[in-house]
Formats: sequence, C-alpha cells, structure tokens
Amino acid sequence: MQIICISRGTFSGGKDLAENLAERLDYACLSREELIDSATKEGIPVGKLEMAMVRPGVFSQRLALERDHYSAFSTAFLCDKITESDGLVYHGRTGHLLLAGVRHVLRVRVLADEEQRIRTVMQNLGLDRDKARKYLREVDEDRKRWVYSMYGVSWEDAANYDLVLNLAFMNLENATSALVNVAQLPDFQMTPAARKVLEDLHLAARARLALARDERTHWAGVKVRADKGVVTVTYLPQDAKVAEFIPAVCRNLPDLKEVRATMAMTNLLWIQEEFRPNSGLYEQVLELATKWNAAVELIRLAPEGESPQGETTMAEPAQATAAKNFREYNGGIEDESSDLSADDGGLKQTLDELAKVGKSGGGRVVYGGQSQLINAIDRSMPYTLVVIGEVFKSKGHAAMLRITRDLRNFLGDRIKAPVVTADELGSHYLFGKRDIIQAGVFLGLTVLLYFLVFTYEEPILAFLAQAGWYAEACRDTFLAKADWGLGVIVSIVVFIITPIVAYFYGSVIMAALKLIKME
Amino acid sequence: MVELLFGRFIELNLFVAIQVIVLGFIGGILSGFIGSGGAFFMTPGMMNLGVPGVVAVGSNITHKFGKAMMGSRKHGEYGNVDKRLALSMVATSFIGIRLAVMINSALFGESGGHGEGDTAASNLYISMVFILILSLVAISMLRDALKSDEEGGGGPSMKIANFIAKLNLPPYVNFKVANVRVSLWVVLICGLATGYLAGTIGVGGFIGVPSMIYIFGVPTAVAAGSELYLAMFMGAWGALNYAFEGFVDLRLTMLLYLGSLLGVYLGAYGVKVVKEVMIRVVTGLIILLCVLSRAVAVPMYLRQLEWLSMNPDWDKYFNGASKGLLFFAGISGTLLILYHVIKAYRQRRRIRTTLIEAETIPEAA
Repeated sequence: MQIICISRGTFSGGKDLAENLAERLDYACLSREELIDSATKEGIPVGKLEMAMVRPGVFSQRLALERDHYSAFSTAFLCDKITESDGLVYHGRTGHLLLAGVRHVLRVRVLADEEQRIRTVMQNLGLDRDKARKYLREVDEDRKRWVYSMYGVSWEDAANYDLVLNLAFMNLENATSALVNVAQLPDFQMTPAARKVLEDLHLAARARLALARDERTHWAGVKVRADKGVVTVTYLPQDAKVAEFIPAVCRNLPDLKEVRATMAMTNLLWIQEEFRPNSGLYEQVLELATKWNAAVELIRLAPEGESPQGETTMAEPAQATAAKNFREYNGGIEDESSDLSADDGGLKQTLDELAKVGKSGGGRVVYGGQSQLINAIDRSMPYTLVVIGEVFKSKGHAAMLRITRDLRNFLGDRIKAPVVTADELGSHYLFGKRDIIQAGVFLGLTVLLYFLVFTYEEPILAFLAQAGWYAEACRDTFLAKADWGLGVIVSIVVFIITPIVAYFYGSVIMAALKLIKME
Repeated sequence: MVELLFGRFIELNLFVAIQVIVLGFIGGILSGFIGSGGAFFMTPGMMNLGVPGVVAVGSNITHKFGKAMMGSRKHGEYGNVDKRLALSMVATSFIGIRLAVMINSALFGESGGHGEGDTAASNLYISMVFILILSLVAISMLRDALKSDEEGGGGPSMKIANFIAKLNLPPYVNFKVANVRVSLWVVLICGLATGYLAGTIGVGGFIGVPSMIYIFGVPTAVAAGSELYLAMFMGAWGALNYAFEGFVDLRLTMLLYLGSLLGVYLGAYGVKVVKEVMIRVVTGLIILLCVLSRAVAVPMYLRQLEWLSMNPDWDKYFNGASKGLLFFAGISGTLLILYHVIKAYRQRRRIRTTLIEAETIPEAA
C-alpha cells in the first residue's frame, strides 16, 4: 500500500501529473473535486464553510462543528479509498495534512510558471491578462488561508513536502517518471507501524463522523482520538448531556474495542522520554490539568536507535481491560505492538494513572528528534499548553538542557500554544512558596499605596487639579510660566503611579486565583 | 447638585467608595466576559454618582491603562497578541484620543467651570455618543447571535468586510501572528475610530475588536489580545492627556482597580463555560439596558443647558431611574455570569471522567 499526495494550485498542472502518475503505477486516483462532491452529498455545506474560513468574519460555533464534520469526513473518505486499493494518488490542496502522523506518505508540491498559469486562465476562463492575474492571486490567497485555518500550517512552507516539482521547465512525462522513481524508494513504502497509525486515524474519523451524523450528538463540539481500537471522545463541560449517547452512537463501528468519554475543557500535551507516575512533574502536570479541567496527552520521545524500524508508533492503550471481550485486533502488527508494550518508558503505566483520575488524553511513542516529533503532533488540536520534560537523556546534562531549550523554541515557533519546560511549568502556572512571598510583598505595597492616597486625599486632588498648594508652590517657577508645565508633571506622575498600582494589586489577585485554582 | 472639590472631583465617603468598587467589579466581570469594554458600565455609573462626565472618562481611561497592561500580559503568554497589528493602529488611535480630549475639554470649559450647567454640555455629548455607538453595537450583536443560531452565518458586518476586501488600497501589510493581510489605510482609519471612542466614552474595544474580526479577518482570540495590547497604549496616552488637562481622579482609578481586576478574571473564566450564542445575547441585552439608562439621563442634561423647560426637582428622578436601570443591567448580567462561573467551578471538582465500559458495546462485527 502506498499513498502519494500531490498538493497543487489552480492551473498548475498538478491534476494531469497526478492522473499520469496513477496510471503509470496502476494506483487509484482521487481528486479534491470528488471528495468535495461526496462531502456535499453528505450534507456538508463545503462552499459556505470555505467562504467563512477564508473571508473575514466571526467563525460561529455551528461553523466550527461543520469544519470538524468536514475534516472527519475527508479523513474517513481518504482512508476508505486507501484501504480499497494497493495505492492511491490524491491530488488537491492538503491531502497529507489529513493523515497527520502517518509517515511514509509521499508529499509532493507542484508549482508552475506564473506566466503559464495566467495564460491558461485567460484561455480557459476568457479573462484579460490583468483579471487573470488578479484571479490567480485571489485564489492562491484564499487557499493559503484555508490551509492555515484548517491545519495551522503554511501551505507554501516547503518543509511540509518531501518534494517540490516546478513544471515550468519539466514536461509532464519527465515529471511523472521522476515521481515514479521517487515513489519506489523505501522511505515512501508503508510499514506496519504506519499502517497502524492510519487505522487509528480511520477509526477516529469514523467515530467523529458517526457523532456528527447522529441527531442526538451532532450539536456537541467533541474531539475524537483512537488508540488501537480504543476511542476517546473529549467533550466540553457545557455539552455534558452528550456523554450518555456516545456509546450508543459508536457501538457499530468496525474494529472498535472500547469507548471512553472524557469531559475536558482543553488539552495539555506532555512530551518526555520516560514517564514516572510518582514523579514531581507528574504531580505538577496533574495539578494543572485538574485546575484547567484538561485532558493530558502524552508523547514519549524516544531515541531513534530504540525504534524497531525508525517509526512513529502508538502505545498500548491505558486500562484496556475490556480488550478480552473483543475479537483480537491485530492489523498485521502484533509483534511490533508486543515489543512496545514490553518497554514503553512508563507510558502505559502513566496513562493508566491519568485514566484513573479522568485525565487521560491518550499517548504514543515517537522515535527520533524535532522533525519526527512535529510531524506526529496534530497541529489543528487546540492545546492550551505543551510541557517538555526530560528528553534526550543519553546526551549528558549540559547537552540535554541545551537540546531541550532548542526543542522548546522549535515547537514554540510551530505550535500556537505556549511551550514550557518542566522548570518553567512550576514557576509560571503553579502556586508555590515563591508565589506566597511575592503575593505578600505585593499585598503590603498595595495597602501602603492605598493608605497614602486616601490619607493625603486633599493635597493629591489639588495636585491632580493643578490647583491649591501645587499651583502655589510652582507659582514663580518655570513650570507655571509655561502653559504646559504643571500639566506635564501631573501627567508623568499619573503615568507612573497607575501601572504600578495595577501591577501590585493585579499580581495579588492573580496569586489568589492561582491559589484557589481558578484560572 | 453636589459641590465639587476643585470644581471637578466628588467628595468620597465609604458608601460612595464601595459603590465605585462595585462599579469596577461589575465592569470588570462584563469586560472579561465580553472581551472588551466594561467602561460602558463604569463611565455612566460614575456619572450617576455625581462625577462629571469628563472626569469619569479620564479616570476610567487611566484605569484602562493598567488593566489592559495586565490583560495583554496574560494574553501574550498564550500567543494571542499581534504586536505589529496593534502598533500599526497606535499612531492614529493617539490622534483619535487627542481629538476626543480636545472636544471634551472644550465642552467642559465652555460653560465657565461653575454652576449647574458646568458639566452638562460635556455630559450630554458623552451620553449622545454613548447612545449612538452602543445602540449599533448591541443591535448588531443581537442580530448576529440570532442569525448565527439559526443558520451559522457571519452577520451583517460581513457585507462591510467583503466590500473592503474588494477595494484595492495599497500598501498592504502582512500581520504574521493574526495571519492577515490588510490595507494600511484601513488599519489607520480603524485606529483613529478606536482612539476617538476610547477617548470619548472609554470603550474603544467596541470598535477595535469588531474591526479586527470583521474587517481585518483576525481570529477572535488574537483580536481580543491585540486590542488589549493597543488599549494599553491608548490608556497610557489617554491618561497622559486627561491628566495634563487635570481630569484624572486617581482615587476613582484606584477604587475601580479594586473591583475590576478581580472581576475581569472571573468574567474571562465565564467565557469558557457559557455557550457563544448565550454570550452574545447576554452582552447585547446588558449593553441595550445601559444605553437606555443613559438615554433616561439626557432630559436632565438638556434642562441643565436650558434647552428644555423642566422642573429642576425632577432631576433626581431622572438620575435615580438612570442609576437604577444601569445597576439592574450590570447586577443582573453579573449575577448570571457569576452563576455560570460558580456552577462550572463546582462541576469541575465533582465530575471527572465518564468511563463507558466496553460491556455496553457489543462485539464489533
């Protein structure tokens, strides 16, 4: 099984290239247009959704639900087509982004000479040169916005592709031949582990789709994850009524072992090399998750050398106690899974502990470094915080600190949520002794400031009104002689005092809310 | 009419001080919940306590400086601040504020400083701008809410956005964090309008945030964060200007902080637990009641300016009715928000996870 995703622009020649390639490799070919047709038949207003996402305006709750519906439908549709054939060539905008975390997908971006594109538009749409150029510019701009809104990545970023083909100086046949050769490379052959990730994605998409189709659950904004047949549905507190219908809606999904519904307002992502449920960091993450009502998703970032095949794979699901009631789920990768469960760096145990307190958001293992990690993270998921614990332990303490800092900066540039290290977590988000001392000092200073202002009310008002003792004191000075003199001094004093009061008192309030875990 | 200290500042006793703190708390809750504003409650509230309109605006915009500083710091931690966008609007927003201060100061000084009509012209002007702008905001917010509930659409302001998107107005500026490309001219005009409103009624956010969302196409969270960042500069500039003219009452500013900084965090917490449509409906209704409250006070100012013949004894009834309506709007809105906040806070401690065990699911075919 092989997947090739061709990302194309309007009139870039990507469609012809994809069809040619599919024919040469004897693979199925799927276009975005076919996908949209099917989505429209499903009842998703794709055109309206697209307009809402690319044009300015408020994105309503209902549109957000339709976006989730569309995303789940697209993933499920793509996965259906993949499983039906030996290989698939998809051409559209962002097929590879629908398969987040699945490695060995050949991701190709096709570009064409702008002049050539303008000529094609002029010819096909009967527009003059300026209008054709404007048309292309607007369409490209809309697509960029669509991709960013849907997946949180830049469409133009070459780092998101394995290969960028410029068809300006390469004919279709040669470009196809080049792709056929690249497609033969071992790097782009599907492995059992990648297939398993794909199956989990497929199951999650089908579960989300089922929830979107059912009238008892379609109104709720839920997020769905699947790990080896265990589906985790996360819903918001205001949608709590949906929980009772989730099992009934999902029960007929093929390959389903268990459904978990977790109420969480948000998700925390915790990245670490080895997890220990009794560690201080575990306690801190759990405290934060409880405070924010968040589910905790774990990623074990293991050295590339530990990988069975240099792969991204999924961990054993936590508390899969009911698995025995179901038919054996193998997906063709039993051996690899048992290897993983034998030594998963405490991932399973930690997930079990989190599941006991209702905070498990699933987990997985990623082998390698920064690029493997970012590829495995679903960037459309609205994480509230990303915590990086101890990673790259084998590198030695100093190198570990440096690489962890680099990783924090790398992820910070690519993920919308704040990314912190273990040390920063405690000082930024949790209430400790340092906070008590700080809050005490600020409280004292606040009381002092208020005492002074309300004790010396009248002279202060005279100063503010630029009258009384102040005007008197400045009478013979240059301040009074200049029209603006008195006012400038008052302005400066107000300008300095106001933020100081806000900072002192605001810090006291923030510390108090932090203490009662209301943030 | 209350005798004013130095012709502009009210006498503060414990009862009045508590009322100002409550105003700050309610304003803070509403501000945190709506994402902008809060001054739409605090400014008229202080005017009802006898504070001249210009001093109420000056003290409030000074208060906004520190509040926005704390708020944008928090938003900044979550990556919701597009500093480039906010800074692009700063220059013209300063011009807008300066314009507002000049108009306000001129109207305040026009009647000579003392006597019954000394503050009426400025009060009337502030009230009229308040009524005009906030009526439009409240009505469009309610229409949006009803429309989005029915069909998930974007509301009437989309027409403006689409119209502006069609215009070719170079130069264009790219804003990376917000991920938008907007004509510099549009940014500058929106900055001017935001500054003028912030300077006149202290509620620039009601123009700034919708401008960023509807006209620039900025995501809501980034719009709120960036507007707060802009508000920090506008607040600072407003504070400098009003303090220069002698219209900042530092006591009022500090009392407002006592309530608002607590309220703003509680309000922001409320946003997470209340449905979006409900947020817009509640906000729209609260603003409409505030507008009504201000409208009730208008005959009083008209009489003080001798533009309307009316028994001066009736002033207290108009003022009372205005104050009553305002407090009703603020308190009922605040109670509603607090109810949801407390409910969610308790629920969070009670409900953990619903584990739906596999026994309920038959073996997959």
